[in-house]
Amino acid sequence: MLIKISDFHSFLYNLNESNNIEVVIPSLANGTENRFFFNKLNSSNNFDLGFFRTIDPSKVLFYQPRESVFPVSTGTIKRIIAGIKSCDMKSIQLLDKALINNDFVDSAYKNLRDSTYIITTDCTEIHSSCHCTLLDGKPFTESGFDLNLSPVEDYYLITIESDKGRELFELIKKKYGLLDAHESAYLEISKQRNKIIEKLVIQNEKFLPRNNDVLRSKDLSIWNEESKECIGCGACTNICPTCYCLILNDESVEKEFIKVRSYDSCQLHGYAKVAGGASPRPKMYERFRNRYLCKFDYMKKNFGEPGCVGCGRCTEACAAKIDFREVIQNISMNTLTTKQSI
Amino acid sequence: MHNAYEVIPGTIYNIIQESPLIRTLQIRPEIPIEFQTGQFVELSLPGIGEGPFTPSSSHYTSEVMDITIMKTGFVTEYIHKTSIGDIVGIRGPYGSKYPLEKFHNKDILILGGGCGLAPLRSLFLTLLHDIDQYNSITFLAGAKSPKDCIYKELFSEWKKYKKVNIYRSVDIVPEGESWDEEICLVTKLLQKIKIDPKENPVIVCGPPVMMKFGTMDLLKYGYNENNIYLSMEKKMYCGFGQCRHCVIGGYYACKDGPVFTYAQIKNEEAIWE
Repeated sequence: MLIKISDFHSFLYNLNESNNIEVVIPSLANGTENRFFFNKLNSSNNFDLGFFRTIDPSKVLFYQPRESVFPVSTGTIKRIIAGIKSCDMKSIQLLDKALINNDFVDSAYKNLRDSTYIITTDCTEIHSSCHCTLLDGKPFTESGFDLNLSPVEDYYLITIESDKGRELFELIKKKYGLLDAHESAYLEISKQRNKIIEKLVIQNEKFLPRNNDVLRSKDLSIWNEESKECIGCGACTNICPTCYCLILNDESVEKEFIKVRSYDSCQLHGYAKVAGGASPRPKMYERFRNRYLCKFDYMKKNFGEPGCVGCGRCTEACAAKIDFREVIQNISMNTLTTKQSI
Repeated sequence: MHNAYEVIPGTIYNIIQESPLIRTLQIRPEIPIEFQTGQFVELSLPGIGEGPFTPSSSHYTSEVMDITIMKTGFVTEYIHKTSIGDIVGIRGPYGSKYPLEKFHNKDILILGGGCGLAPLRSLFLTLLHDIDQYNSITFLAGAKSPKDCIYKELFSEWKKYKKVNIYRSVDIVPEGESWDEEICLVTKLLQKIKIDPKENPVIVCGPPVMMKFGTMDLLKYGYNENNIYLSMEKKMYCGFGQCRHCVIGGYYACKDGPVFTYAQIKNEEAIWE
C-alpha cells in the first residue's frame, strides 16, 4: 500500500503528541545539510527518513552507553524508531543474537527491544564510508523490521514484516487514505534501489571481497604498519553498531547491590589486563588487529555472520583517518603477495 | 524473567589469613549456591566492584562457600579489608567444570602453585568425598616461600588419607624461615611421581608462567594434550560471554572455560598472558 509522505509525517507527529508513545527519528545535525542523528521527534527538529545511515548507530537506542542492568528500570515507554537503515537493522539482528539467547538475556536490552516498533527506510543517498555491498548487504532492509518504507515520488510504499508492523499499519489505515501500489511503483522502487547499489559498487570497486583467512594470517609486521597512526582512543568501537563489550560498575550503597554497565573498548590499554598485570594484547597493533579478527572471525564463529555491517562509521569517526576498508585491503594484498612470492 | 546480573547477598562468617597476601573468606549466602567444582562465581563488594573467583570448597556443600583470594588489584585490596559479619554479593556459578566422570578409576595428578591452589582445593575436596571411585590422587603444590604457602594445616590433614600422595615445594627459603619439604620449582616435583601418563588426567592451575612451563613438562613427560586440564585466568567481567574481555580466540574463558584441555586452546594466541 502507498501512503502520502506528508500523511505519514503527520501520523508520526500525532502519535508523538498522544503521550503514550515516543517517536525517534533521524534529525538534522546543526550546521549540516545531510548529517542526521537519532533524536526524539519535536516540532522544531528537521527530520528526513531518506538519505543514508545516521551519525550515531541505532545500538545507542537499545543498548545504552550507560545503564543499570541490576536492578533494571521498569515502566519502559513504547517507542517508534523510524528511519533505521539496512546496515543498522542487520546490527540489531546481530545484537539480538548476542543479548537475547538461550544462555543469556540482557533484561535492559530486551525491555527496550520489546517496547520498540522499528520502521526502516531505504537509503536514497550514500556516504563516502558506506560499503554494505562488500558484505553482502543491501541499501534496503529485507528482514527484521516491523514496517519498511520505500519512497516513490510523494508516497511511501509500506511493507509489513511483523505483527507489530501490522498493528501500526492498522493505526495508519484508520486515519489516512491509502492507495494500492501498482506494478509501476514496484518498478520505480527497484530502479531506485539498483541506482544506490550501483553507486555503492562504484564507490567500493577497488576493494576486494572479505577474506577471513587472510586476516587470520600470523604475519604481524603488516598489522604493525597499518596501526601506526592509531591512537587507541576507542572511537571506532564505541560507534560500531555491533560492538557490545561492556564493563560493570558497582554503584551500590551499603547492603544494596546496583550494577551499571557501560561500553568498553578492546582498543584501550587496560581492556583485557587482569589484576595480576598480565595482558594478552599489551601492544597497540595487537589490539588494533583484535578488532578486525573479532568482526570477521570471532563474531562469525559465535553468530554465524561477520560483525561488520559495512556502515563505515568507524572510518568516519577515526581521529587518525584510518579507513577500515583500506586496512583490510592492504592486509589482504600483502598476505596474497607474500604467498605468491613463496 | 531472571536477571543475569542479580547477586545473592552473603555474610562472611569467618576469615582465614592463609599467607600475607592470601586469605580465605568463608561465606554463608542467603540462598544456597550450587556449583560444580571448577566453575567460578563473581564476588562483589557493595560500591566497590566485583571479580571472578573459583570457590575453594567442595561442591558437595552449598550452604557455605569458601573463596580464597590474593590481594593483587583494586577489588581484592578491599576484599582484604573485610571483616567477619560483612555482606558480599555472589552471582553464578559460571563456566565449565572439571569433568569428574572422566577421572573415574584413574590416577589423578593435580599440579598447582600460589593462589592457583584455590580451585584445586575445591577439586581435591570433591574427589576426597568419592575417593572410592578414583585409583589415586597425587597433589603437587608449590609456593614462592614457606610463608606464602596456603592451606598449611589442611595439607597435613590430607596426607593421612589412603590413595593420596602429596608433595610440596617452595622456590626459595629466605633466612629465618624453615621448610622441611622440597626446595625447587613445583614443576620439578614431576620427577617424583610414578604415574603412567598415557591415559591418566592431570589438572593444572597457577600463575600463567607456571601453567605454561608445567604444561610443556607434562607433554614431555608423556601426558596426552587431551588429558591436560587447565584453569585459565582471564578478565572475566560478566561471567556469561557478554563483555568479551576474556576472549581466547573464538572461545570465552568464562563460558567455554575456565576449564579447558590443552588440546582445545593450544593453537589460540596469547593463552599464557
